[in-house]
Parts: sequence; structure tokens; C-alpha cells
Amino acid sequence: MDVNHINAFITGLIEVSGMLGLGNLTRTSLGARKQLKTQNEVNIIIGLVGDIKGNVVLSMQEKTAMNIASKMMGGLPVSEFDLMPKSALCELSNMVSGRSVSELEKMGVLTNITPPTLVHGHNLISLISQVETLVIEFSAEEGRLELNIATED
Amino acid sequence: MELSTTIAPFVRASTNIFREMLDVSIHKGQVEAEGESFLSQGFTVMVGLTGGWEGWFFLDMSQETAIKMASLMVGEDYSSVEEEEVLLAGAEIANIICGNAITDINNIHSGLNIRLTPPSIFAGDNMSMFNVRLNACSVLLQSDIGNVKINVVMKEAK
Repeated sequence: MDVNHINAFITGLIEVSGMLGLGNLTRTSLGARKQLKTQNEVNIIIGLVGDIKGNVVLSMQEKTAMNIASKMMGGLPVSEFDLMPKSALCELSNMVSGRSVSELEKMGVLTNITPPTLVHGHNLISLISQVETLVIEFSAEEGRLELNIATED
Repeated sequence: MELSTTIAPFVRASTNIFREMLDVSIHKGQVEAEGESFLSQGFTVMVGLTGGWEGWFFLDMSQETAIKMASLMVGEDYSSVEEEEVLLAGAEIANIICGNAITDINNIHSGLNIRLTPPSIFAGDNMSMFNVRLNACSVLLQSDIGNVKINVVMKEAK
């Protein structure tokens, strides 16, 4: 796992969130994922194939997801996590991955991405790719976000 | 691209792999069209597809079925999906099924050049999978170890 590749995703998320007007997204921590369980109900997964092969998962709690969706829809209140906020979040991760991929392309790393899939559920256990997963935590006014990156180089 | 025909190679591969690797026979399959969203039975392995067609392949089953499947594969008894081997066994099966099916598809449609991402596994309660603006086609396979649903979401890449 190359640190430049990781940076491409961090840049992607920060730039897109700034563009969408999410409040003060800052990176809080970075580390290896230690457990299979996750407290986050909302996980958006995007697959990568090419020079980098793996999966990237943007994960957060339902409350955060609704706050972000509301911000993206111009402050429209979101009280239920239905199709509208789900599709807003898929769009968000599409933009993040698109941005990240073009960032990677500048470094000469060519990668194809799959469309995003949003996994929503309770008491989730997840195993992303089958390699060690890097977890980068962010905090914003809307809540905490986690970027899980699991790639085989 | 007609989804109900693209799912055929996946059904074929699943039936073969279940018989050859696990000695589990599939009795019956039922095709269903599903919309943007579908509910999981509790344990889902997903493999991403990129290339001429892009999307996802899901192998979905109950947690009990996943545990039984892992036991058959590894030859050990498991009690919960929290054991990593159960997740890995599911991932391996999905990877093999998907690999076989994609080889078929790439052979039939030369130039598509579909490639797979490594599998990811999710397990939990009331799980739903949402694919924005994509429709899923699923086949519910009835087997000796329980119902296994395969789900294919694909579109032609721009």
C-alpha cells in the first residue's frame, strides 16, 4: 500500500466535501482496522480494479448520513433514511472516488471503479477485500466519517 | 443488455461450484427482478465488476447457511459469523463463482474484458443493499443448506 495512493483518497474526500459545503471536515486519525464489527450503519462501497485492486468503503452512522444528505440537498430536513438520502450519499461517494481516481491518474496509476453500493444495516460485521484495512477517520460538523481502504498493490 | 440473460452464467457457475466444492445440490431456482434496493438475508458477499460492463455480484444467504457452508468447506464447526474463517469461506466461494461466470461472459462477448475486484463481506441485521439507478436481477436457489440468493447488478460502461 503506497502512501501516495492513500493521499489521493484523502484529497478526494476533502475536496468533494468542501465543494458540497460540508462543515470543517478534518482528518482525526489513521490506523489499521482491528476488529470485524462496526458501529456504522451506513457503508458505501466502491471497487477498484487496475493498477490498484481493492475496495474503498466510506462508512458512517445513520445520523451523520442524514445530516450530510440534508446538507447536500440544500438544508432540506431529512428525518428518515430512505431512497433520497441513500442516493445522495451514493452520489457523494461517486464524486469522491471519481476525484480520487483522477488524482491517481496524475501519478500514472490507472484504475477503473465500480458504481457505488450502499449497505445499510444494524450490528454489522464486515471484511473488506481480504487484506489489512486502513481506517482514516474524519470529523465534520455533520458527524464522524470513516474511510476504509483495502487495496492489494 | 438483458439482465435475465446475463445472470445465467452466474447461476450455472453457482450450481457447479456448490456441487463440486461443497457437494450441495441446488434443487430449484427462481428468477426475480428487483429494483434499486434489495434486502439481505443476513450475510452477503459482494464482488465488483469493471470493464465493458460494470456493477456488482452479490451472493446472499442467511447467517446459518453461511456457517454451514464454511463448515462444509473447511471441515470444522463454527458457531458464529464473527469467526473470520466463516467470512473468508464465503468470500472464496463468491470469488470462484464470479471468476467462472466472468470467464464465460468474456468468452462469449469478446472485447468486454470484465475484471473483478476482491470480494468484500457484510453480515448484520436488517441489511439492505442500495444501487443507485441500477436494477438488480436475482435468482433464489434452494439448496440442502438453505436458500442462497445470487444477485447481479450491471450496466454497460460509458
